[in-house]
Amino acid sequence: MPGYLLVFAQSHSEFRLPELQSVAELLGFALSIPTDCDPSRPFMTLELQSEEQARLLAGRCILIKSIYALYAQGGNYEELHAANGANIHLWSSYANDTSFKFIVTGYNHKIPEARQRDVVEGFDYMRFMGKIDLKNPEIILGCFEEYDSSAGQAITRHDRDSQFRQVYFGRLVVEGSARALIKMFDIKKRLYYGNTSMESEISLLMANQALASPSKLIYDPFCGTGSMAYPIAYFGAQFFGSDIDGRQMRGKGGKDQPPGVLRAAEQYGVADRIVDLCTFDVTHNPWRCGSLFDTIVTDPPYGVRAGAKRLGRKKEIDEARKAVNLEQQLSARHKHEPYIPPTKPYELSLLASDLVILARYLLKPGGRLVFFLPTVNEHYEAVDIQTMLCDGMVLVANSLQDFGSWGRRLVTIRKATEGSYPPPSFSEERNLGQHTPGHRDFREQYFRGFKKE
Amino acid sequence: MVRLITHNLLACHVKGCTANNFPLEFKDVQVVLRESEFNPDFLRGFIPKIDWAALTGAARQLGDTSLPDQLPEMLDDDFLKTLHHVLLEIHVEEGIMICPNCKHNYHIANGIPNMLLAEHEIG
Repeated sequence: MPGYLLVFAQSHSEFRLPELQSVAELLGFALSIPTDCDPSRPFMTLELQSEEQARLLAGRCILIKSIYALYAQGGNYEELHAANGANIHLWSSYANDTSFKFIVTGYNHKIPEARQRDVVEGFDYMRFMGKIDLKNPEIILGCFEEYDSSAGQAITRHDRDSQFRQVYFGRLVVEGSARALIKMFDIKKRLYYGNTSMESEISLLMANQALASPSKLIYDPFCGTGSMAYPIAYFGAQFFGSDIDGRQMRGKGGKDQPPGVLRAAEQYGVADRIVDLCTFDVTHNPWRCGSLFDTIVTDPPYGVRAGAKRLGRKKEIDEARKAVNLEQQLSARHKHEPYIPPTKPYELSLLASDLVILARYLLKPGGRLVFFLPTVNEHYEAVDIQTMLCDGMVLVANSLQDFGSWGRRLVTIRKATEGSYPPPSFSEERNLGQHTPGHRDFREQYFRGFKKE
Repeated sequence: MVRLITHNLLACHVKGCTANNFPLEFKDVQVVLRESEFNPDFLRGFIPKIDWAALTGAARQLGDTSLPDQLPEMLDDDFLKTLHHVLLEIHVEEGIMICPNCKHNYHIANGIPNMLLAEHEIG
């Protein structure tokens, strides 16, 4: 199979491979990822069936900047040119009269212009006779030098030049068109958002992990201001949102205009795919049956900007006050007055483990649960995620977005069972096992500055 | 919003209300019809989840009698278009959904139903 060079965007390195694999699964083809593949590097060489596959991947993967047909690579230019010479069959058809342009760039390093010219001249033996056309070339040839990070190295740019780790050479097949969606969904240009809205790049990555596509039904139980709704619906899926706090979904428009989430969805032309928005507490939910959704995708509130809440009271009250409250509730309901029930905090490790059991109940077999879990980097252990799983639920991916002392992990879990399971009990007095995960009481840890008690 | 697809999935969930708690009955509703894109694959995938009696009952309550009493065996395009209209194009914007068993009222305001329970209704 022909080899290709995937050039990734610099950020979110832990999301590269999961996104690539998810998108390939969504598009219906298998990828053979080389076992020595290191996704922390921004260049990946990969065999694909066809250029068409490369185009499809680049049209959907948010983190792919471009894909090249790989002609050669090497640890130095001698190796590169030797390999390129041996692969003459890959490029000889362009040699006679195809107009072209060369680009020479370094990763983690800026190559001086004089040496860029030397690099281009080094390919003279290919004898490309076509016109050099910088504006509209028929093909673009790219040469990429990959340098290790210069952070912490006492070495000048001049001395570093040519000290690259690997050099790659190939022909541009396609620029990553999905990256334009990051701008399109930019929160600042959105008609409705809040302080918990998720940046567009991450919500698009989540939509890809969620395998969002036409004819799927996808649910967000902590819908908030609808950050997940827009990319999910944009990719063609039907979206259902719920939240314990209806004000987050409605916004301040009042009765005279549609709820905020719908206004923003309208802006993106996807309001029709927002099936419904409902106010309820997911721990007291009205779903009539299970096996409903293809994906559950959510960014649960974890307490930095807004803490997760569930119905109930922080402190028990005596019988006399209970009776007074009951009377007030009933009279408010009788008069159709808005009534806001008391809520209490929903501790993160309980929420996370409830979410997995809820997903096992509400997902169709093979469906996915995709959600963010904040973790304290110093305390995090891989077992934190393992102990969250339950029978029938399998970990697919776990990618860290690192903020220094803490981070959030995008966890993807698949329902790998046809069996039917009961809904979770949502009980607070259950035993979560011996293990205390690093995300237990995340909010308290955050405001303590992650210091030990 | 509330579309009948959603109505078909929501049951009363008040503590102890576990029988005859579905389908919720509409009252004092304001209905708006909105055209939406026809997606036969989505409908075919969703049909096994539909409670047919609840769907036809709710549709009739809202004045739409286009669906047959029984789910037909042949899912042709004409039928799927009818089903599409009933499931996805009828929006209840205002009104109440009432539990047939415990009579709990779930209010719909600006298209969003409030399914929150009061303190004495949770377990």
